[in-house]
Amino acid sequence: MTADSLRGIEGSIIFASRPTPDFTMTDPSQAPPPAEPFEALLAPVLDRAYALAYHLSRSRDDAEDLVQEAALQAFRAFHQFRPGTNFRAWYLHILTNCFFAQYRKRKREPRTLNIEDAEPLYLYSRTRELGMHEKTPDPASAVLGKLGEDQVHAAIQALPEEYRVVCALYFVEELAYQEIAGVLRCPVGTVRSRLHRGRKLLQKELWAAAREHGIVTAKAAPERVE
Amino acid sequence: MSPIDRYNCEETFRRLDDFLDRHLSPEEIRLVQEHLDTCGQCASEYAFEESVLRNVRAKLQRIKAPDDLLSRVRQALERERGGGRPSGSR
Ligand SMILES: [Zn+2]
Repeated sequence: MTADSLRGIEGSIIFASRPTPDFTMTDPSQAPPPAEPFEALLAPVLDRAYALAYHLSRSRDDAEDLVQEAALQAFRAFHQFRPGTNFRAWYLHILTNCFFAQYRKRKREPRTLNIEDAEPLYLYSRTRELGMHEKTPDPASAVLGKLGEDQVHAAIQALPEEYRVVCALYFVEELAYQEIAGVLRCPVGTVRSRLHRGRKLLQKELWAAAREHGIVTAKAAPERVE
Repeated sequence: MSPIDRYNCEETFRRLDDFLDRHLSPEEIRLVQEHLDTCGQCASEYAFEESVLRNVRAKLQRIKAPDDLLSRVRQALERERGGGRPSGSR
C-alpha cells in the first residue's frame, strides 16, 4: 500500500521523502500518535515552509505564527496522514489552508495588476532592446543577479494572491503542477495557467524593480521615455 | 517517431513553459530538444527563461528561518501533548 501510494503520476508526484517502512499504523482512528515520528517528518520541512509562509503572509511574524499553527493542526490531524505518502505536501496543504483562513486579511493585498498585459518573454524583449544579449551570454543573470533578495521578495509579494500562492509553491517548494494541485485541492489546469501567468507578471515586476534601482537604464527602450 | 514530425518555432514556443516545468511527454521533450538544437532563436529564448527561473528560485528560497523555529514548534507541540491546561478558552 505504501509503495503504491508513493508512486504518483510518472513518479513526479513524490519527491525526497523516504517511505517510512517501520511506521505501520493499521488503524487510523487510534488515539494520539507518538510525537517522535511526527517531529521527525516535520523538522526537515520547516525551513522551506517558513520561506513559503513569508511569501504568502508578507510578514516575518505572521510567517512564524503560520508555520507554528499549521504544525499544531497537523499534529492534531496526524492520524489522518497516511504513512508513506508525501508528508510535506500534506503539511503544506494545512499551512496554506491556515493562511487562507486566518492570515490573508491581515495585510492589504497589493494593487491589482493589469493581468491582461502579461506578455510572454517580457524580460527577454526588454534586455534585448537594450542590447544586452550581445554583451553577455546570460543576460537574465546580468539583470536578476544584481537585484537584491529583498527586491525579488517584494516582486513576488506584489502579485495578486491567486498567483502568489501558486508561484511561491512552485519556486520555494519546487513542487510539480500535480503536487501544487494536491496542496491547493484544485485542478492541475488551474495551477498551470496561474503559474504561467504569474511568472509573466513577475517578470514585469522584476523589470520595474531593476529600473527603479538603476540596474538597467531604459534609455534605449522605444516603448517609453521618461 | 517519423522524422517529418518536427516542431516549428511556433510549436516550440508554445511548449516553453511546460518544457521548463517538465510537464511534457518524453516525445514532446525530444521534439523540443531537436528544434532547439537547430534553431538559435528559440534556443536563446529557452535559455533566457530557464535562467530567469533559476535566479528567481535561488533568491526566493534564501530566506533565513529564525534559529529557534524548530524549538519553538517543539515547545508548542509539547504543550499540546501534555494536554496543556485549557488556557482561558474552552
Ligand atoms: Zn525556432
